[in-house]
Amino acid sequence: MRRMSGWIAGAALLGAGGAVVTRAQAPDRHVWTGVYTKEQAERGKTAYAENCAACHGETLAGIDVAPALVGPTFLNNWNNTSAGDLFARIQMTMPLNAPGSLGGRKVADIEAFMFEANGFPAGDLPLPPNAALMPNVRIVAQKPEPAKADGPCKCN
Amino acid sequence: MQKLSRRTLLSGTAAAAAVIGVNPVRRAVAQDELPGGPDTEWRHYAADQANTRYSPLEQINADNFGDLQMAWSFKTDILGARKEYQFEPTPLLIKGRLFLTAGSRRDCVCIDAATGELLWMFRKDEGQRALNSPRQLSGHGCSYWTDGKAERILFVTIGYQLVSLDADTGLPDPAFGVNGVVDLKQDFDQELDPETADVGLHATPLIARDTVVVGAAHSAGDVPAVRKNVKGYVRGFDVRTGKRKWIFHTIPKKGEYGYDSWLNKDADEAGNAGVWAEMSADEELGLVYVPVELPTGDEMGMFRRGNALFGESLVALDIETGQRRWHYQLVHHGLWDRDIPCAPILCDIPVDGRTVKALAQPTKQCFLFVLDRTTGQPIWPIVERPVEKGDVPGEWYAKTQPFPTKPPAYDVQGIGIDDLIDFTPELRAKAVEMVKQYKIGPLYTPPTVSKPGRWGTISVPGIQGGTNWPGGCYDPESHTVFVYSKTQPSVIGIIPNDDTSVSEFPQVHGIAGADVKPQTAMGAPGSGEPRRPPAMRPGSGPPPGFLVMDGLPLLKPPYGRITAIDLSKGDLKWQVAHGETPDNVRNHPALRGLKIPRTGRAGNLGPLCTKTLVICGEAGFYTNEYGIRGAMLRAYDKGTGEERGAVYMPAPQSGSPMTYMLNNRQYIVVAVGGGNYSAELIAFRLPGVA
Repeated sequence: MRRMSGWIAGAALLGAGGAVVTRAQAPDRHVWTGVYTKEQAERGKTAYAENCAACHGETLAGIDVAPALVGPTFLNNWNNTSAGDLFARIQMTMPLNAPGSLGGRKVADIEAFMFEANGFPAGDLPLPPNAALMPNVRIVAQKPEPAKADGPCKCN
Repeated sequence: MQKLSRRTLLSGTAAAAAVIGVNPVRRAVAQDELPGGPDTEWRHYAADQANTRYSPLEQINADNFGDLQMAWSFKTDILGARKEYQFEPTPLLIKGRLFLTAGSRRDCVCIDAATGELLWMFRKDEGQRALNSPRQLSGHGCSYWTDGKAERILFVTIGYQLVSLDADTGLPDPAFGVNGVVDLKQDFDQELDPETADVGLHATPLIARDTVVVGAAHSAGDVPAVRKNVKGYVRGFDVRTGKRKWIFHTIPKKGEYGYDSWLNKDADEAGNAGVWAEMSADEELGLVYVPVELPTGDEMGMFRRGNALFGESLVALDIETGQRRWHYQLVHHGLWDRDIPCAPILCDIPVDGRTVKALAQPTKQCFLFVLDRTTGQPIWPIVERPVEKGDVPGEWYAKTQPFPTKPPAYDVQGIGIDDLIDFTPELRAKAVEMVKQYKIGPLYTPPTVSKPGRWGTISVPGIQGGTNWPGGCYDPESHTVFVYSKTQPSVIGIIPNDDTSVSEFPQVHGIAGADVKPQTAMGAPGSGEPRRPPAMRPGSGPPPGFLVMDGLPLLKPPYGRITAIDLSKGDLKWQVAHGETPDNVRNHPALRGLKIPRTGRAGNLGPLCTKTLVICGEAGFYTNEYGIRGAMLRAYDKGTGEERGAVYMPAPQSGSPMTYMLNNRQYIVVAVGGGNYSAELIAFRLPGVA
């Protein structure tokens, strides 16, 4: 199981064009394992208010023309993708009036705030400022049950 | 082992279309013969000026739908400066060529309909003007015109300019406007800054009788920055020259019809009332049908007192002159953001033994309004019923609202205890507790002042509506309208605002305790620093205004549905939950062991009707039994609603499907994208030698 995840992370990095040496055993991470820090989400709250709230709403609930960033519809839409996927989408396309203008650290902060708002727990390691460093951080809408040793993943 | 196979699949099938048939035995029999036919066309956004989104083709049918395979796909990533994920067009098909707008810059493209090859592309870089627009990205598509010799493709850019292109070459028509372009921010009966004015358009221009009709869209009006916003007038232009033929004031000027429906001369200052939806036209009657949105203030009407025509009205205009022939107001002085979101479907239906030229207007509130399209008179009585008055300071309230007596509403309206989630008694109990914190009631329960313990009114359908911009489709043989709707509530709380730099409205849409955010265009420049830090405390249970319990929706399913409405009787014929049950419901620990019928998924979807089928893709992603993310394109028997087949797509339907016959093969083309999957146009057809 661990070997498998390492292979996936390596493949994704190579796919992105980087000959990056990955850890032989990348940890199998997902959003319920504490993938951002509390401080990061706090910074993200301010960054969200500056850059996102005008369209997605103060409570992340969305408005007529911009979707919610919190709740079941959002989570279903991103279920079984990675934190890297979401990071890339935000950095490339948002905000609509100045796409590409947000630095990696700020995007990571905003994503951390979104994770917090969706009820995912904080941890010790911040989200990295680069999508290539988190293809192995899976977005899993439902908190997985405690895994049995080396059992199959029940993440869908 | 399960994980290994799932991952292996994931790594190898990103672009492959797997096909899941529902009846393999019948499929095998059906593959031998593929009755073809002459090439067909699809000349308008929704097939025709009547907006039926109907095609009589039947090569693809119930027996072989499951065999559909991808003929080609067209990724739009290379168009515009970045990828797009909100790809809403429906292409046109003329003489084997597809025409559509695509990409994050809304380029106009021509594609070989048999192969998906790019034939030409037109790009207009509008710089900051485009970035300021309230309607970004690819929009709904383009329109076609010909006089039998010249052929033109017209579309509205992100920066609100009308462009006319030669359909053969993609080059601007020098005889049209200035070098093929009409600046829509000019000649608009109001002074506008061309760079910053709050106006744009996703809809296609409607072309009828050599006239191009263009509407207008503005920033959402929950927290309107200004009172005197741009007025969303609708205009007709000469298709050959781009010269303005007429303008219709959706907010009447003094002395014009409808001005008196506004109190205190509010019409002079109010803005919006744009036509952001698609329109339809009857060339024989010489009428264009124009669905109008609210004047400024989606949930606050204190600066548009009175019934305020032509807010939330369907207006029939003379195509040649723009003169109003009739109108019907679907909501009086709306406070629920019920902008008429899509084109009325023009249909000739049997009424008392004679055929009546009618129209059927799907709505956000999930009434189908059926009117005589010559006169605007209801086919079945529409009655005015008293509605509750609210408590918002300075607000004006209409005493009654129009309720069609037929056909019945096609989705949930209003909210009562019976509408709450009921998978388990515990969830129902939690839901009952939650709604105690809100005002609930029937359709048109007014918004309420938000305060702790009564955070607002729960509006069902929500502000995005049951049905939105894609609209419905229509089967002329059985006189049946098919329409998708979602069942998703919104909270409408009203909070005071004393910061005129945020909004010139003293009351705005919001939740008590959360500070008022300035609402800018989808792209208007922000102020940089937030005026105040947000007050919300995320991560500590659902915050006020957030209608979710344990990660599940407040209302019971279906969350998305397709309804067939028989216009020969005014009755609902069938209704199905549309969309596989979402991941969070299928995997929820509290629901383990329960048998839950398919719930459908919520989104904005337009169905397609053929000789025998109703075809519609799903909204949003789900993870299928193979562990693969994606969405299904589904086909239903149009007579019964029974599902006849489903085809895997790598991403949800984002633009409504269309179909055509080309070289004896029927194609279904649909725009997909969203989440982490960038925009793509996919063409399906049956197996066979290319």
